[in-house]
Order: sequence, then C-alpha cells, then structure tokens
Amino acid sequence: MEALYFNVNDGYLEGIVRGYKSAILNTTHYLNLTQCETLDDLKLQLSATDYGNFLANEPSPIAASTIHEKATQKLVDEFKYVRNNAMAPLSQFLDYLTYAYMIDNVILLITGTLHERDTNELLERCHPLGVFDTMPALCVATNVTELYETVMVETPLAPYFQKISVNDIDELNIEIIRNTLYKAYLEDFYDYCKRIGGVTGELMSEILEFEADRRTINITINSFDTELSRDDRAKLFPNLGKLYPEGHMKLARADCLDHVKAVVEVWVEYRPFFDTTLNSFGGAATSEAKTLDDRFFEYEVHLNKLTFQQQFHYAIFYAFLKLKEQEIRNILWIAECISQGQKEKINNYIAIF
Amino acid sequence: MPYSSLFRSEEMSLIQLYIPQETAQPTVAELGELGLIQFRDLNPDVNAFQRAFVKEIRRFDEMERHLRFFDAQLTKSDIPVRPLTGDIRTIHARSAQEIDDLEEKIIEHERRITQMNDSYETLQKQYLKLTEMRYVLQETRVFFDEATSRQDNIRNSFDEPTAPLLEQQDLEHGSESLVLHHLNLGFVTGVISRAKMQTFERILWRALRGNLYLKYVEIDEPITDPETDEVLEKNVFIIFAHGKELINKITKISESLGATLYPVDSDPNDRDNNLTEITSQIEARNSVLQNTKNVRRTELIKIAEDLNIWMTIIKKEKAIYHTMNLFNYDSGRKCLIAEGWCPSNDFDKINQALRNATEQSGSTVPSILNELRTTKEPPTFIRVNKFTVGFQEIVDAYGVAKYREVNPGLFTIITFPFLFAVMFGDFGHGMLVTAAALYLVIREKKFEKGISDEIFATFFSGRYIILLMGLFSIYTGLIYNDCFSLPLRFFPSGFQWHDNQTDAQQIGVYPIGIDPAWHGSDNFLIFTNSYKMKMSVILGVIQMSFGIVLTVYNYTYFKKRLSIWAEFIPQMLFMQCIFGYLVFTIILKWSINWNERDNNGELVHGTPPGLLNMLIYMFLQPGVVAEEDKLYPGQGFVQFMLICIALICVPWMLLTKPFIMRRDHKKIRSQGYHNPQMDTTRVSTDEDNEHGGAVVAEEMFEVEEFDFGEIMIHQCIHTIEFCLGCISNTASYLRLWALSLAHAQLSSVLWDMTLKPTLGMSGVLGTIAFIIAFTLWFSLTVFILLLMEGLSAFLHALRLHWVEFNNKFYEGTGRKFQPFSFTLILKDGD
Repeated sequence: MEALYFNVNDGYLEGIVRGYKSAILNTTHYLNLTQCETLDDLKLQLSATDYGNFLANEPSPIAASTIHEKATQKLVDEFKYVRNNAMAPLSQFLDYLTYAYMIDNVILLITGTLHERDTNELLERCHPLGVFDTMPALCVATNVTELYETVMVETPLAPYFQKISVNDIDELNIEIIRNTLYKAYLEDFYDYCKRIGGVTGELMSEILEFEADRRTINITINSFDTELSRDDRAKLFPNLGKLYPEGHMKLARADCLDHVKAVVEVWVEYRPFFDTTLNSFGGAATSEAKTLDDRFFEYEVHLNKLTFQQQFHYAIFYAFLKLKEQEIRNILWIAECISQGQKEKINNYIAIF
Repeated sequence: MPYSSLFRSEEMSLIQLYIPQETAQPTVAELGELGLIQFRDLNPDVNAFQRAFVKEIRRFDEMERHLRFFDAQLTKSDIPVRPLTGDIRTIHARSAQEIDDLEEKIIEHERRITQMNDSYETLQKQYLKLTEMRYVLQETRVFFDEATSRQDNIRNSFDEPTAPLLEQQDLEHGSESLVLHHLNLGFVTGVISRAKMQTFERILWRALRGNLYLKYVEIDEPITDPETDEVLEKNVFIIFAHGKELINKITKISESLGATLYPVDSDPNDRDNNLTEITSQIEARNSVLQNTKNVRRTELIKIAEDLNIWMTIIKKEKAIYHTMNLFNYDSGRKCLIAEGWCPSNDFDKINQALRNATEQSGSTVPSILNELRTTKEPPTFIRVNKFTVGFQEIVDAYGVAKYREVNPGLFTIITFPFLFAVMFGDFGHGMLVTAAALYLVIREKKFEKGISDEIFATFFSGRYIILLMGLFSIYTGLIYNDCFSLPLRFFPSGFQWHDNQTDAQQIGVYPIGIDPAWHGSDNFLIFTNSYKMKMSVILGVIQMSFGIVLTVYNYTYFKKRLSIWAEFIPQMLFMQCIFGYLVFTIILKWSINWNERDNNGELVHGTPPGLLNMLIYMFLQPGVVAEEDKLYPGQGFVQFMLICIALICVPWMLLTKPFIMRRDHKKIRSQGYHNPQMDTTRVSTDEDNEHGGAVVAEEMFEVEEFDFGEIMIHQCIHTIEFCLGCISNTASYLRLWALSLAHAQLSSVLWDMTLKPTLGMSGVLGTIAFIIAFTLWFSLTVFILLLMEGLSAFLHALRLHWVEFNNKFYEGTGRKFQPFSFTLILKDGD
C-alpha cells in the first residue's frame, strides 16, 4: 500500500535524491583524482564531475580545507533543498538526521569551552546541518544542569539530555555525555523508524543496528585503560543492535582487543572487521593499512548502497547523506595526501560506486 | 566543385593540418575567427590535466576569475559595463607580450581594488561601531532618564525591607548614578541584530532565572554589515542585573550570541561628552569614507571601460588553448598535428587563413593542409541563412540528417506553412499574423541586439516561419472564403435566390474559392465538410507519395540500386493502388455533374455513391461493384486488378531484398573472400601505469557481419510498418479537415456571441455596447484563435511533417557539424 501513495508526497524528492546519488563519484573519478599532482589538478578534475564550478571563484593555490568546506556546503545545500520541500513525516525523518550533527556540535562547543577556545572559532567549525539558534550560548554553561536549563531545554535534544547521569563537565564526562546523548538519540530514532515501518523500518533498523554495534565496539575499545568502570561502560551501550543483549554483557567485561575480537566473531557479518586476511565488503582487495574504522566505514557504505535497491522508502535519504559525507571524507583524504606529498597512502579512500 | 544547397548537406573532408609550433597560437586564432573546422580529439586517452596546454588554460582561468571579481564589484557599485561595440573579430590578442601585459594590468587593478576594498571595509567597520555607539548612548539616555524618574520609587521600595543597606549612604546625594551604584546594579549595553533578540531574551531569562531588567529599543536606520553587505536591522539593549557574577555571565552570553557590547559611563555628564565626541568623529569618518568611495569608483569606472574587451580576449585565448589540447605534437618536426572536418568547398578560405596567420606572425615555415581519405562518417553541415534557419531547426529537432541524405528542410519551407494554413485558413486571421510577423522582420535589426524574454525570443527566432504561415493563411482564407468567419464578396456570387424559392439557382461560377452564397445556407457545413475531408486526403496522398519518391534520390546517391527495385517500386505501387486510386475516384466524383437530368427528368448518373463504402467493399468483395454504386464502367475489374497488385507488393517488399542480398553474399563467399578477422581494434595501453592503465580501444574498421536473420527481421518490421502506416497515415491527414473545421466554427461562434448582436443596436448605448463587444471580440480573437489555435495548428503541422512525411524517406541519424568558432563560443558564454 505504501507504494501506492508514496509518490503523492515524496515521489519528487525520491527522484531528486536518486539524481543526487547518480552524481556520487565512481571508481573512474577516483582513479583520475588520485593521479593529480597538485590541488589545482584536483580542482580541474572535480570540475568535470557533478561538483562543477564549485571552486571556480577560489584563488589558487587552494587549500584542502577549502575544498572540504565547499564540498560540505554543496551537500548542505542539497540537503536543505530536500528538507525544505519535504512533507511530514519525511520532514521529521530528515530532522532526525540533523540531530546527530547537533549532538556533535554541542559536544564540540562544550569541549572547546572547557579548553577555553575562542567561541567564534568554534562556531565556524560546527557542522552547518546541526546549527540551532541558541547554540552559541552553550559556552556559558559550566555544568550539565545549567547546560540543560539554559540552552538545551528548547531544542529537540532536550529529552536526550534528561538521561545524562553526570553533572560536572570535564574531559571524561564529556565523553560520557556524548555517548549517552548518542545512545538516547539512536534508540529514539530506531523507535521512530520502527514506527514508520515498512521498507523504511526494515532498512533503517539494519543500518541503525550496525551504527549501534559500531558505537558499542568503539566505546569498549576506547575505554580500555581509562577510569571508566565496566558498569558505566555498559550503561553507554545503545540498547539495540545485533550485539544486544548478550554481546553487550560480554563486551562490558572485555579488557583487551583480543577479548573484543572473540566476542564479536560470533556474529558472522562482523567477523571481517577483525580479520585482516579477508577481503573487504565492497569487493575490492584490502590493502594492509586498513584500520578498524575504515572497515566500519566500508560496511556502512555497503549497507547504505543497499538501500538504493528498493523503492518507496525514506532510508535513501539517510543513505544519500551518509554516502555523500563519505565521499567528502574521501576527497579530503586525497587532497591531504596530495598536499602533504603522501602519495603512497592516497589509495586508502573508501570507494563507493 | 559541388554546389552547396539545402537539398543535401555539404560535402565534408577530413583534413590534417601541420602547424609549426611557433605559429600555432595565431593560426588557431585565425581558424577560430573563420569557424569552419570541427577538430577531432587526437588524444582521447590523455587526462584533462595532463594535456600540453593546461598551464596556459589555468592561467586564463585565473585571469577570468579576476575579471569575474571586477564584474561582481561593478554590479555591487551599480556601474554599467561598457558594451562591446564594433566587430568582435577585431578584438584579439596579437602577441604573447600583449597577454603578459594584460595579465599584469589585471593583477595590478585587482590589487588596487582589493586594497581599497580592505581599507573601505575597515573604515566602514569603524564607522559602524561609532554609529552603533551613538545609538547606544542616545537610547540609553532614555533608560537612564526613566531610571532617574523612578528613583524615588526604587528607593522607597528598597527602604523598607533592606533599609540597612541604604542607611549608611547619604540619601541627599541623589543622582541616579549613585542610586544605581548603591543598589549594586550593574548594567550591560550593546547592540544585537533584531532577529536574534527573542532568543537572546529567552536565554538570558533562563540563565539568570529572571534576575534581570532588560530594555531594548529598535534602531530605525538599517545597518549594513561591511563584511557580507547584508542589511541588518538591529536593536539597542540595556540590561540591569545585580552582582558581578551575573554581569559577567550576561557579557559572555551576549558576546557568544553575536551582540556587540559598548560600555557606557554611568555618569550622565560623561555620557553627554562621549556623545558629542562620537558625533564629531562620525562626521570625520564620513568624509574619509566618501573619499575612499570616490577613488574606488573612479578605479572601477576605468575597469568598466575595458572589461568586456578583456573578457572577450581571454575567452578567445582560452578557447584557442582548449583546441590546441586536442592536437598531437610531433617533437621531431616541431609542429602540431591537427585533424578535423571541414566543408570541402571551403578549402580556399582555410588555406587563405593559414597563409594570413603565417604572414602575420612573420614566420617562414608555412602550415600545411592535407586531405585524408577516411571511412568515417562525416558530420552533417547544412548552410542556412536567417530565412531558412527556422525551417531547418524544425527538421533538426526531429533528427539531424545523415551525411548527404536528402534534407526535408528544403521542402518544409513550403509544405509546413501550407499545411498549417489549411488548418488555420482565415483571411482576416492570416492578415493579423502576417502583420505581426512583418513587424518582427522589419525591426529585426533592433530586436537582434537583445531579447530578454524567452517566449518573445522563441517567436522572434521563428519570425520567417510565422510570416509564411500568415501569407499562406491569407491564401487558404481566400479559398475557404472566410474572413473572421464572414464571407468576402469580391465578385458577384454565382448563385441567385428567387423570392419564393428555398433553393438558389446557379447562374455562374465564382472566380476564386468558395462562393459567398454558401455562407449561412443550410447545407453549408455538409458541403465544406465533404470538401475539406476530401482535400485532406488528396493533400496527404500527394505529400506521402512525394516522400516515397525522395527515397529514390537517396538510393541513387548512396548507390543502392537494389533498394529501388525491391523497395521503392512496390511501396509506390502499394500506395497508389489503394490511396492513389481513392484520390482518383474523389476527383472523378467531383467532375461528374450529379444533378444532370435526361429528358424524362431522371438523373443521368444515378445517386452519387459513397467513396468510403467503395473503398471498404473493394477489399470485402473484390471484383464486385453494385450497379447503383458504379462510378464508371469496368470499375469491378479495375479494382480487382489494383488489389491484386497491392497484395503482390507485400511479399515483394518483404522478401526480394533479403534474398538477393543473401545470394550476393554467398557468391562472394564462394569466390573465396572472407570477412577480416574480428580483432580489428587497436588497443593502446600506457606503458607506465601512472594513468591507472587506462585502456582505450579505437575501432579501425566497421565491418558488419552478414546475418540473414537480422536482415529478414528488419525487413519484416519495415514492411509491416509501411503497409499499416499507409492506412493510418492517410487517416492521420484528416486532422487537416478537423482542425480547419474547428477553427472555422470557433471563429463563427465568437463572432455570433460577441460582435454580431451589437451591430444592430443604435444610439449611444449601441456605441458603448459595440466598443465593449469589439474589445472582447478582438482580444479573444488574438488569444484564443491566433495564439492557441495557431499553436495547435502549428503542432499538428509539425506532426504531419515529422511522422507522416519524414518516416517515408528520412533517417535523421547524423550528427551536427560543430565547428570551432569564436562567434559560437562567445554567444554560448552569454
């Protein structure tokens, strides 16, 4: 039934997003990009793709950060176009996508304030998709309650904030805040997608479960040799995903990488993450330098690509944003490799199509 | 030398140019002005940024960026750029030195402009700060004054519960600053953008738990942000709060929310002094600002003079180097090798251009032009002028002609407006259309310069089509004898009405078109319908037959003799046996006087038979025609023969060609010839794997494998399409009748409903009614009958050409000739 009515409200936007998706750089483009000698070459190559003349008015020599900034700007413009044309419930789904960026921005600002960085500089570094009006006032707050009461109470993140158990803002607590917020966000978003149901629910739960598992594994690995107790660690794991609940219990007790590996290997899909001899998900042969993060990204790209195989669902909006983000990371990586003369590492990007 | 005409596209040659390296740039420039060569890419496997002249192109890109910057600055300061005057051919760089100078000049200008912009911006920022400060001072004075007047209230309210706090102080010393001081009330003043005011207030309220007193006033004058040039509306605010902590917090929040804080003295005298000082400073700044602005303006005006010339030069140079990137470099002979297509007729012009370029650059080594033999299909180039271009575009929209194929564009010039007019036939409407088109044609010099409206530009580019459509409509209008649905009486009618008769008596023949006496008669519609329907079929059969005839020109030109015997002749016979015969009977029926009576008063020829039934029964009962339906003696036999011929034509079309081709193929095979091996592709790989091992294959030969099955299927489809197409296409021409009927009826309804009733009225009321009715009638005529009906007739005429006419002979699988030409490049850029 949803196929019957989907196009009434969302057909146009799905078409638009599929169009954007076809503009994502493919292997040939990356091959050309990696051959560039200078960033000006890169600019020339990018102008032949869908990025077009986005750098035409930048004086050369251009910096890798400028390319990144402009590419992000283009993505943000595209996303905003989709958001502005969206009807409920798609509009709310798209709003959910921005919450993740809001969390990042909030954390960025409070970390920056903790280290007494200049507010304006921090504001410039915030992701444009996660900006909200009252955001600059974050730097005033000195503890979580104040943070919540002054700024966060009127943002969509407010319910997530209520779940934070710590109060003081310090190095360790910021990580706890970040992870608690993210946990709450993921659970909420997961529930929301389940409520939408249908193909959207199916595809999104697949993606979000992986996202949750990835966070769980990362939290575990990062909490080795820190003050974080095992119980506290377990509290930060999002309560969803393939690893939930047995995996969580085991991971909470793990205290070295080998333990994590032993736990995770029970799940067949996740086995390749820790197996350096296997090929990657995308099919291309992995080089020896692939890190765990890269493997996560590869699997994420793989999942996101799968969403385009089906029609009449919202997951492609999520997938488009994530794939495009990965593409920008790739371009930045290539640009940095070129500008720093590290040509041997240039092929460590994650090919999408 | 072959003549260039619209009938076939120009003959093209593949040429090779050897251009000495030192004269390459001027030579290519000369060829670009000429605009007659379409260069081929000789290094398709080289990446865009690895080509020979990327460095130069990048340099021009950079210069273009500077120019765009100038352009943006000019638009910002509202200075018009001087438009190009004179011939753009004369604007080009003469030497490398000139380009270097230009670059230097542009960079110098840019440096100066940027510098001036910077200083202007700093000045403006200071100015902005001062103005904001002034506003803060002015507005806060009001707050403080209010505070003073409330001083007593404040004190009284504090007197009772917190008496000890005030007791120590000298109450007689009652200036408001002291009061503020004594109450430990600190305050923060500043300016914030109005859009953020609400958020700001809310956050402050929450952060301070309501322990504050905030006042704000809107600044009337909008303030321009010097960095982004946005006009912002701002508010002055003042916040009173109690305690150092809170004041600090307020300061922090305000700053993070983008407010600018301006400290204000709590002493009123100091404030007044400040205000006067600031006002005088503002005045001083103002004059400096004005000066900077003027200097900048003069600089920009200087740039505006030359900007378009520079832009043209740089665009041309860029195009030159882009083209040179397509060339091969022969390092042994120090020359560039170019390949491209050009019209064979224009060798002389190209040679002349090459010589000119060599002479001008003072080189002794001439460029060499070589003609290559090739099996590649050349691009299609049809020379058009301003009259024919519109018609050719109608054809090109369907498909660009195959190289040297018969081009329907030539015939479209007449047939298109004619078929349009058959549907649009009305003398008056034709006059209006012609007048409008004539206006466009006569004023074309003026309009050419710049049309911004897209819809108008479409009409303008089709002005000659519209003109011919109008003229033909006048003609068909005369034939239909329709002028705004009324008959024209140029000559005396051929019919006479007797007083007490219901029938008119024929006394003569009206010299041109339909007799005006038909208008308003009871059987007018029956008559015109029959006439227009038959006319549509006749026109359709003629046009389609003509289309089939054109295939012969293609077959003879491309030396396909077999196709004439195996396709053209059976197609023609099939068409003529069925629909040609129909046309014959239509004309025969017209030429018989069915009212002729013999001496007994009996009709000589009987009742007229229906042609539609005749055609149907010709197939249902071959060879039999009922006595009362006979048009001429021996009709049954003739029809039987025609059907037999048409039926024979079907297998003839279907089978002869494939089987003869198979026989020929077998003969060749039996003589020992074979197809060349299949690996006829040249594969070039880059030796060094730096380019990612891009493999590029180029087809060297295009030999088609003989496949009988494929040819048979193709022929089968073709035959079915033709036979069914003949029937459906003939029916399709009936749209001529339908549209013409609709047009005539619509215009007569419009006349009857609006203008006609007012004609009988008299007096003032009648005049007013007439004026109103006339405006209504005229505007509806223009919008509905001319524009909407005209558009619909246009589209139907288009369809008749694209589908019914073109599919008889036109392949339209060519690609258009796109020469390297500065005129085209500059036009595209606009």
